[in-house]
Formats: sequence, C-alpha cells, structure tokens
Amino acid sequence: MNDTARSEARSSGGSDRGFLPDGEARRKLRRWRGVKDHFARYSVGTFGVGVIIALALIFIYLFSEVLPMLRPAGIDVASSYAAPGGIDTDTRYVAVNRHRDLAVRYTTDRRAVFFLPETGAVTHEVDLPLPADADVSAFTFAEPRTELVAYGLDDGRALVVQHRYNERFSETGRQYRPDVVFPVMDGSDPLTVIDTVGRRIKAIGLQRGSGGVSIAAALEDGDMRLVRFEERTSFMTGEVTVRRVVHELPPLPQSALATRILLDITGAHMLVGDDRGFLHYYDIRRPERATLVHSKRVVRGGGAEVTALDYLLGTVSIVVGGSDGSVSQYMLVRDDDNINQITFVRDFTSHGAAVTQVMPEYIRKGFATADAAGLVQIHYSTSARTLAREQVGDRPLAVIGFGARANALIAVDDRERFYHLDVRNPHPEVSIRALWGRVWYEGRSQPEFVWQSSSATDEFEGKFSLMPLTLGTLKAAFYAMLFAMPLAIAGAIYSAYFMSPKMRGLVKPSIEVMEALPTVILGFLAGLWLAPFVEGHLPSVFSLLLLMPLFMLITAFVWTTVLAPFVRQFVPPGWESAVLIPVVLFTGWFCVSLSPYIELWFFNGDMRQWLTDVGITYDQRNALVVGVAMGFAVIPTIYSITEDAVFNVPKHLTQGSLALGATPWQTVTKVVLLTASPGIFSAVMIGFGRAVGETMIVLMATGNSPVMNFNIFEGMRTLSANIAVEMPEAAVGGTHYRILFLAALVLFVLTFVLNTAAELVRDRLRKRYSSL
Amino acid sequence: MTERNEPITHGMSGALPDSGGERLKLSRQKPCIEVDKLNLFYGSTQALKSISLTIPEKRVTAFIGPSGCGKSTLLRCCNRMNDLIDTCRIEGEIRLDGQNIYAPTIDVAELRRKVGMVFQKPNPFPKSIYENVAYGLRIQGVKDRRVLDEVVEKSLRRAALWDEVKDRLDANAFSLSGGQQQRLVIARAIAIEPEVILLDEPASALDPISTAKIEELIFELKEEFTIVIVTHNMQQAARVSDFTAYLYLGELVEYDDTVTIFTNPKQQATEDYITGRYG
Repeated sequence: MNDTARSEARSSGGSDRGFLPDGEARRKLRRWRGVKDHFARYSVGTFGVGVIIALALIFIYLFSEVLPMLRPAGIDVASSYAAPGGIDTDTRYVAVNRHRDLAVRYTTDRRAVFFLPETGAVTHEVDLPLPADADVSAFTFAEPRTELVAYGLDDGRALVVQHRYNERFSETGRQYRPDVVFPVMDGSDPLTVIDTVGRRIKAIGLQRGSGGVSIAAALEDGDMRLVRFEERTSFMTGEVTVRRVVHELPPLPQSALATRILLDITGAHMLVGDDRGFLHYYDIRRPERATLVHSKRVVRGGGAEVTALDYLLGTVSIVVGGSDGSVSQYMLVRDDDNINQITFVRDFTSHGAAVTQVMPEYIRKGFATADAAGLVQIHYSTSARTLAREQVGDRPLAVIGFGARANALIAVDDRERFYHLDVRNPHPEVSIRALWGRVWYEGRSQPEFVWQSSSATDEFEGKFSLMPLTLGTLKAAFYAMLFAMPLAIAGAIYSAYFMSPKMRGLVKPSIEVMEALPTVILGFLAGLWLAPFVEGHLPSVFSLLLLMPLFMLITAFVWTTVLAPFVRQFVPPGWESAVLIPVVLFTGWFCVSLSPYIELWFFNGDMRQWLTDVGITYDQRNALVVGVAMGFAVIPTIYSITEDAVFNVPKHLTQGSLALGATPWQTVTKVVLLTASPGIFSAVMIGFGRAVGETMIVLMATGNSPVMNFNIFEGMRTLSANIAVEMPEAAVGGTHYRILFLAALVLFVLTFVLNTAAELVRDRLRKRYSSL
Repeated sequence: MTERNEPITHGMSGALPDSGGERLKLSRQKPCIEVDKLNLFYGSTQALKSISLTIPEKRVTAFIGPSGCGKSTLLRCCNRMNDLIDTCRIEGEIRLDGQNIYAPTIDVAELRRKVGMVFQKPNPFPKSIYENVAYGLRIQGVKDRRVLDEVVEKSLRRAALWDEVKDRLDANAFSLSGGQQQRLVIARAIAIEPEVILLDEPASALDPISTAKIEELIFELKEEFTIVIVTHNMQQAARVSDFTAYLYLGELVEYDDTVTIFTNPKQQATEDYITGRYG
C-alpha cells in the first residue's frame, strides 16, 4: 500500500518525500482549503451580522408601530365661508357627520340647515315647527352622539329635535337624504309643555339615557322643572310606550340664575351652572324627592364666571371653561359619607380670553374649547393633555362643533363666518403620565394605576397604565426566582461537586430535559391542578417549607452520626442524596395529610377563609402557584448553567484548597463559589430574563388581574400575557394596539437591559475571578 | 550542591565508592513517612505495586521515573489526594509519625494540613496575595488580624517573595509571574505549619531563572520541613534532593541516597534511565 502510494508519487514526478502528494496536488489542496476557509469565514460572519440585523429589525418594527403615538396632534384651517343659510341669524349648534361630507347648523330663526362642510354649500334646509308667536329663549344639546338638540321657548314649551343624515349607498357613492325628527311628542304635537302656566324658559337641559329622554328647565322666576319621558317596552308585544312625568325640583340657592343645565345619561345626576361661577349638583335618582346636594364654585379666578360648561362623553366628567380662560375638569366623587361631591380633577392649558364653548368628542374622552379671541384648543381628559391649538380668524368664536370621528371641527365666529378645520389627533390617550403615572380616572375616588383597556360600553374610558403590568411581570419573576434560585443553585452545586459522576450523569440530563417541557403544559397543570390543590391544602405548602429542610437535616444527622458504618456501606459515596428520595416523598405525603388537621387546629377549619378574615385577599390563581409553576420552567436554565460553572472550576483550585486542609464544604464556599460566581450570576440573570418573558404559564395560572401589589396570594397580569390576551381584540392601528406594541417594546428593552447588565457584571467578575 | 550530600551507605549493600565528603545514610535518618507494601488500583489497573519506602525527616526526597511510572500517584497517596478519584482503591499502609493515615479515624482535612502539597501548575486562588497566604489560617479558624498579618509576612519571607510583593499585598494573585505564583503557593502551604511538603513537579512549568529560585527555596525549606519532590528533571533531582527513589511501571526499582543513585546505581534499569538510555 505504502509502496504503491510512493511509486505513484514518484511516477507523477513530484516530491522526493514519497508519502506526500506532489506539488501540483498540494497547490490544489491549498487552493481548495483557502476556498473553504473563506467560505466558512464569510458565512459565519454573514449569519452573525444577520442575527444582529434581525434583532435590530424587531426593535425597529416595534418602534415603528409605537411611533405614531408620539407624533403631535394638529389643527389646520381647511376652508372658510359665510354661514350656510344666511349670516343674519345666530348659529346655535353645528355638527359634522362621520364621513365629513355633511354638516348641520341649527339657527336661532328655527331652521336646521344641512350643508357641505368643505364648501358651505347648502344641500337641505328644514323649518322647525316652532310657533311664530313664541321666541326662542333657551337652547341646548345632548351628548353629540345622540344628535339631539332642544329649543326652549318663552311660553314654557320646548322642542326636542333630532337630525338624521340618512346615508344611503348607490352606484354613484354615498347619498344623503337628511331630515329631522321629533323624538318626544305630546300626542301629535312635537312641542312639549314644560310649564303649564307658560313661564319663560331661561335655561334648558337635555339628555337621552337608557331610560329615555329627560328635559330639565329653569324658568324665569327660578323654578326648576324636570320632565322625563319614560320608555317602557312591553315584553309581550314589543310595543314601546312613553310616559311623560313632570317633576318640580328645588330652586337654586340665593336666587342664582341658571345658565346651563347638564343631565347625565343614567338619570341620576343633574348639574346646573349659575351666573356666579357656581355649579350645583342635584340628586335626581328619585325625581319626586330630588334634592340639591352640593354647590361648589368651579372658577377659581376672583370675579370670573363660568362661560362654558359641558359633560364629556359618558356624562361623568364636567369641563368648565371660565371667563378668565381657564379650562378645568370636575367629577362627582363620593366622600366618606358616600355623598357625591363636585371635585376638581385637573386643569388644562388656559386660553387667553374667555372660553366660549366646550365641545365634547363623540366617541372619546376628548374635547375642544374655543375662546373669545379666536383660539381653538383640543384636549384629552385621561392623559391630561392639551394636544393642539390653532388661531382661527381674529374674531371671537361663538360655536364649535365636532365631526363624529373627531377628525373635523367647524368653528363659527360672532359674524357667522364658518371655518372648517382639519384635526389630526389619532392617539390623544397616551402620555408619559397616562402610561406610567397615577391617573384620576372617571368614577374613581383618587388617582390610581389601572390597566383596563376595554369594556362593554361605548363611553368607557380606556385605562392604559403600564405600571400594573410591569409590576406584575416583576412580581411573577420575583416569586419564580424565589422558588427556583435556591433549589437550582444548591442542586447544581451538589451535583457538580458532591455527587458521584454516575449519579450526576443521571440527574443532570433529567433536569435539563425539563427545559424542553412545553410551558403550556406547566401552565395547564398549574392552573387546573396545582391552583385548586394549593387552595385546598394551603397549610401543607407552609409546613412543607418548614418540615422539608428539617426532615432532610434530621436524615443527614441520623445518616452520618447515628447509623452504623456498615449500613452506610450499602450506599456508595456520592449517592447519599438518593437516601433523601423516600424522605422527600414521605415529607410531602406527611404535610398533605397533616394539612386538614392544621386547618382544624389553627385556622378554624379553613385556612383560606381564615386569611380572608384576617384581611388578606386570596385568589385561587395566585403568585404562589405561578412562582412554583414558573419556577419549574426556570430551574433547568439556572441549574444547567450553574452546574457547568461550578463543574468547570479548575480541579487544581479545589485540590489546592483541599491540600491546605480545607474540608470540601470550606472549599465550596471559599473557592468554588467565588470562582464560579460569574457563571452563577449569569445563570440567575438568564433565568430572570426567561421568567420576565415567559408567557404561557402566567397566562394560564395568574388569573390575569392587573393588580398593583406584591401579595403572594393574589394574581397578577404580566406584560407578555397581556399582549397575548389583548392583541387579538385590539383594533389594528388603534391606540390600544399601539400601546400593546409599546408593552412589547418595554418587555424587549427590559430583557435587553437585564441581559446587557448581566453580561457587563459577568465580564467584570470573570476578569476578577478567572483562573489562568 | 552535591557536596552537601554526605556519603551514605544503603542498609544492605555496605560501603559505596566515595565521591568525596560525608554521605547521608538512609538507615540512620529519623523516619517521617513510612510506606508499607502499598498497592494502588485505578479500577482494575494496578498503578502501584507493593511499594515500601521510608521518607526521612527534614530531608529532601525525590521520586524520579518515566511518565506513568506512578511517582505522582505515590506522592498523592501521602496526603490522600487520591481519595478524590472515585475508582481509586488502596491496600497497605502509609504511616505518618507512626500512625496509619488510611485508618478510618483519621481526619483527612487535618492530615492534609500536616502534609501540604504544591502542584505542577501554580494554582493561586482568585483572591489577593494576602488572602491566598491567609487562606489556610482562615480555614483553621484564625480571625485575629495581627496573627494573620504576622504569619503572612513570615510565610512570604520564608518563600523569598516578601520583598517582591510587600507593597501590593492586596493585588490579585494573578498579577504575579508564574515563578512568583509558585512561590506564593509555597508560602501558602508553609503558612499553616505543615510537617511535610509534597512538591509535584513544582518547576516544570517555569523558566530556568524561576526554577533556580524554587530550587534555592527548597534547599532553605528543608531546615524545617520534610520535603518530597517529584521531578522529571534529572539534574534537578541531583541538585536538590538528599535521597532519590526510582520508580518504573508502578514498582520501586531503587531507593538510596542521591549520590549513590546518580553515581553508582545498583540496578541496570536505574542506570539506563539516568544516563538517558531509557526507552
């Protein structure tokens, strides 16, 4: 064989070193090796850079979804024209439909004029059936989405009007045949008698709630009236009957004159603004016994008056505009005696001149304000922001009206010039404070951190505080680490340092295989088996915590000192931990079977009930269950890395220590742990990162309630679970959707920062404790 | 250094040709460690075959032999470092001051305090120079800072390292050179007042100058300690040791005073090895 190879090499006339291929073949080989070398270098480089690019792209994508929320809002004047339907009468109310292609103007001379908001061209005009012998003495509008307005007359009667755009779709596109209807009728008469004596209506309020339409009026001598049209649907026939009830309400104190009356949609509250800057709150839940509960001055400036007043969507928040230009939000908040009080919530950026109108949005908690110097501002209540401002002409503005989608505004000045405004304001709900600070939400008694992104009602205020989610994430990770860290690290040290290689060869792969366990199974077990089990055997959890180490120590003591050496011979060195298996099983069984008796002896038979009585909230799916379940998910990670770190402490270091007369335990604590500390640290950080990002277990075993505490007996909602739960139901491109992306970004940054910090610390530790 | 080796005669063989000066006589030495019919098995392989020898007190004894002959294994038996190897099994006895160190009543940690060891590769702990030397004392429960300071200084001086490190005792031990690290390890070993110091090829990873320093140090240390050294380096064995044992394939071929071994070995195998004809 050798000889043939040599003779071949010789015959090809190359090298005299017979066993090597000749020069030509070696050149070829060198070239080929060079090619392979290059290929390997560039492919490895490409993939490495590719990973970094992929990571950067994820970041960029998340950020690009979040970015639109950060763009500022804006208002621009799109067009302006003289009042459609004539400038010789006052505009009382304007509104624009949701497609921005039809608007309505109510005038003092009893007309509803439909026009194109872009040009002001009149398309329809309706004369309202108001008697010619009566003057319009009051006007109001209900929530914009109801499309209801009311005229109050000086003969004690009122007219409620609803405008309808009546859009139809034909081959040529959208078409409108707008009209007006009169939702409340006195028989066949659209006019409603408020005061039978015929006194002049000074101020009128209108609202439509679930119970029907309500009208409130202040008469010229200060008497207050409330008229309710109670709708009843017959269950048998489906027929709707309307009953009209008139109630007399107590007058305002000190003969104050009502200027504006607000009725809420639940029919429980009525708020009356007067000419002295006060707001009066009537409790009208039982109108026949209605009382004036509370009066409060709502303009803080000395001689300032209330010049504009309106409810925001949902009729919970009241926005007050003052003659001093101030814009503030108030709410009814229950005091300690459970009585609603008008309470100041927040201020918005002031106007330089008197506020002439507050106009709420149709479907959000935003509103626009106009002032006597021609400035329009848009604000948002939850985020406490004034988002945009625009100077519209130089005349005082009298009336403003929103488009149904809050993307258009019509502003009318005192000379009846109409301005059509573009509004870009897609994400007003977001601000640093709304996301991370305490926010005073509607219906709450104080500012709080709340995550509640959706609800069954349209007038719901989205609560997007990321604090409960971030805290929940850290809470879940904290309890998981509390469970996993001692077990994993101690177990790793034991198996790396004390266990016989054979047993280690069994134990280490088994624990590492746990890593491959789908977390959905862990979550499933935790939610459906462990949570009810823990609830039923609560004392066993705590007795296990105490008795397990105790029994182990007793066993160790008996094993090493009491038992005769010949018994110990049965267990080879390094297998001692196997002796603990029956002890662990016994302790588990013992604690579980002892549990009912402990409950009987110490907790009146039911520990859960006892906890509740003591004042500790107990959820079935709680941090304890999550800690254990997620701990199991994290243990293999921490164990595996720690085990490697401890096992890879150079033998010459441990032998050096042992040779100095140190016991194995002293060697572990003083040399091994010190040298392995970078590895152990990074194991803990990687485990923590995993716990932070873990989704399925927390999704299934936490109850997903976004609470703000560290109570081990309550659940939590984590960032990751929140994304999983809510992403399918978030409208694409909406604020909620983008905030979920922001949550993902926070999660990404959180893990990124954690891992970077871990790597930096590890690097430092490694430099200090590495053995050469 | 050979002139320091007094002429000795092996117990059995009578007078040897004089190489000038007095020889140390093995039989007249006070025994420190007595190895008695020691058999050692790694699993089913026998690594040491019925070894018997006596290591004299306050002398330097060298174990030489080709790789795999069992010299390091024999050395490690003297402070039971072989216990750390799972498959290792031992028959026979090793007596330290007349007491069998493999008796069940022996506290291994205490044995290792008495029989210190220095390894081939310098193995300082990832701690400061000071803490490295103080480690053994802390293990023994010494907490008094003054005692520690005193012993650290004394040990570093005895290891001829004090002048080089006295200004940076808090520096990491890894900032020292290889030779300094090895002397630091020796200082660490002598800080706990052992009786015996086992040196397992202490200079094989060092440059010639560092090696010379270590050898000088060994010479100093034998005033106070019994020293056993394993070395591959024949010249080193000749330079530093008083007695030399030649092992081959797990058997003790010849054990005598160093001069005899190097000038007039009784076994052909020994002579072949020493003169480089081995193999």
